[in-house]
Amino acid sequence: MFKRILIANRGEIALRIIRSAREMGTESVAVFSDFDRNALHTRMANMAMPLGGKLPSESYLSIDKILEAAKASGAEAIHPGYGFLAENAEFAKRVVEAGLAWIGPPPESIIAMGDKIESRRIMSAAGVPVVPGLTDPVDDFDAAIQAAEGIGYPIAIKASAGGGGKGIRIVESPDDMEAAFRAASGEAVTAFGDGRLYLERYLDRPRHIEIQVLFDGEGNGVHLYERECSVQRRHQKLLEECPSIAVDEELRAKMGEVALRAGRAVGYVGAGTVEFLFSNGEFFFLEMNTRLQVEHPVTEMVTGVDLVREQLRVAAGEALGYEQADIPRNGWSIEVRINAEDPVTGFLPSTGTIGNLRLPGGPWVRVDSGMFRGMEVGLNYDPMLAKIVVWAPDRNQAVARMIRALQELHVGGVRTGAPAALAVLNDERFLSGDFDTSILASMDFGVTSEEEERLAAVAAVIHRRQMAKRSALSRSSSSREGWLKRSRNTVATYPAATTLAAPTVEGGQA
Amino acid sequence: MKYFVKVNGRDHEVQVEEQADQFSVEVDGAPIRVSYEEVDNLGQVAMNVDGMAHAVSIEGDANICHVVMAGFSFEVELEDERERAAHAAERENVGGGVIKSVMPGVVIELLVAEGDVVAEGGPLLILEAMKMQNEIDSPSASRVKTVHVAQGEAVSAGQKLVTLEALEEPE
Repeated sequence: MFKRILIANRGEIALRIIRSAREMGTESVAVFSDFDRNALHTRMANMAMPLGGKLPSESYLSIDKILEAAKASGAEAIHPGYGFLAENAEFAKRVVEAGLAWIGPPPESIIAMGDKIESRRIMSAAGVPVVPGLTDPVDDFDAAIQAAEGIGYPIAIKASAGGGGKGIRIVESPDDMEAAFRAASGEAVTAFGDGRLYLERYLDRPRHIEIQVLFDGEGNGVHLYERECSVQRRHQKLLEECPSIAVDEELRAKMGEVALRAGRAVGYVGAGTVEFLFSNGEFFFLEMNTRLQVEHPVTEMVTGVDLVREQLRVAAGEALGYEQADIPRNGWSIEVRINAEDPVTGFLPSTGTIGNLRLPGGPWVRVDSGMFRGMEVGLNYDPMLAKIVVWAPDRNQAVARMIRALQELHVGGVRTGAPAALAVLNDERFLSGDFDTSILASMDFGVTSEEEERLAAVAAVIHRRQMAKRSALSRSSSSREGWLKRSRNTVATYPAATTLAAPTVEGGQA
Repeated sequence: MKYFVKVNGRDHEVQVEEQADQFSVEVDGAPIRVSYEEVDNLGQVAMNVDGMAHAVSIEGDANICHVVMAGFSFEVELEDERERAAHAAERENVGGGVIKSVMPGVVIELLVAEGDVVAEGGPLLILEAMKMQNEIDSPSASRVKTVHVAQGEAVSAGQKLVTLEALEEPE
């Protein structure tokens, strides 16, 4: 096993990897931007290497700086987490060329699955069902209108280089094609530097169901069942479950087998996820995510498999050492993502400094969080701050447990999507299992009971009176502010050597 | 003292009398028993109303604050009687209004020019934030009075984008 690995990421996922590494006796090296000097991952790793810069492009996306940090720290392998460089084949190649182990699939697998058009071709050839549509990008909206005739409306316009919901537009009729095409193309250029678009059928009431797969370097592969990810908005997931209420044993086995076939077709090694759209009893390949996913914990809770540990073992050349029949499936798990966004204003991003912070606890509640008091939430990084994960023997108990956990959570200073998740967990369609990927868009989140509003009104009034009382009792506000301003400047800066000269912290204990 | 409190868009009235740290409170005309203990200086409060315990989190100032109870979120605007009287005059004067950016971003495309008439829900401009393009729409049928930003301009949260004026004659 590796003695030391570098984690090319930040936030909760960096922490997630640090935790498994520490449990395995592997040291972890964090990298951090100027913005993240006091972040949790910077503090909890064994070593922390500054990358400098505030923007992602100057830090977590800088291949040169990360490789330099790996070399300087003596790391033997690099774990990319998710996002940033996780699905960047160039980075994977450079890591291997630098003589380091890449904790991820071979660069060829990333390339094959990274291009949506190319991956569709490979999947069709391997006998994996794909959504009706074109495999070639269309030139302009006229061509798109023509092509749409053959596929049938509604049509989904998607970016060839896309992901994360960016550059996707749904078109109901030819009249809407021009505007949607232009918007999608513009978004694709800004987000990916590649404006190519392709078309496919938009499926009726689809569910998003994905299969977790795991391959070693010797050709052994298992799937770790499905995750239900239909509770999403603009293709950004909010709540995920394992297993899915829509999947029975027969379908589970079939989807698992197809997912393994998909992985084998691209020579996959390590942990990956094959995403499917499930509609009217049929499932279609959507894409394969060639990395660890945000929602991996629900699979871990139900199977008892530590996916990060398995990633490290496979990258170190170990065989899986177990077979499909050895993977347990016990109970039910739900995850809710805590994003800095405001559901009431249509999930607009929310920024601020986290002050009042209360995390849930109690039986079978797992909190994967990068949050801390005093943390600034800006727009430079992904708005996902934390994940609350629960386990229970069955779905009803898991729902009740998640509601309880979300009621305990408070993130002061920014708005989060937690109230939206609570609304979902109380929604009849969600509880009965009769829902699809449109459930979130169809809900209204500003609604509260009058009884609760009265309590909030009383609290706000007394809060105001207490504030007034305090300010009347205190010395003049200007002298107080001057004092606060001075005491806030607690960051000491020393004229340090060059950014990457030496590791700053070694052997630190979290 | 009487307070007019808007919670998630709905109006409520709270009457508070205070004597030696004992609150006498009426909400929407009904008397309640309240105790209110601050847990820390960050906004956590132990509130008890008629024997029911509530873990409340509250952040904000005298007029606008955000309350969270049991995971649910309440946007609160409040004013006392004196403030209400002062604000009443301003309220009469509703017109097209000023459209402000709710988040930092970049103006990707301006879809209107000064003098244009826009319908309710008509697009004004495209604002990109968090790598997503968001269409900013007109809240009402109006005429564009001033465009405050240029294409390609970076804007901060709260910055004016477009000023609208009410149409003289409904079209």
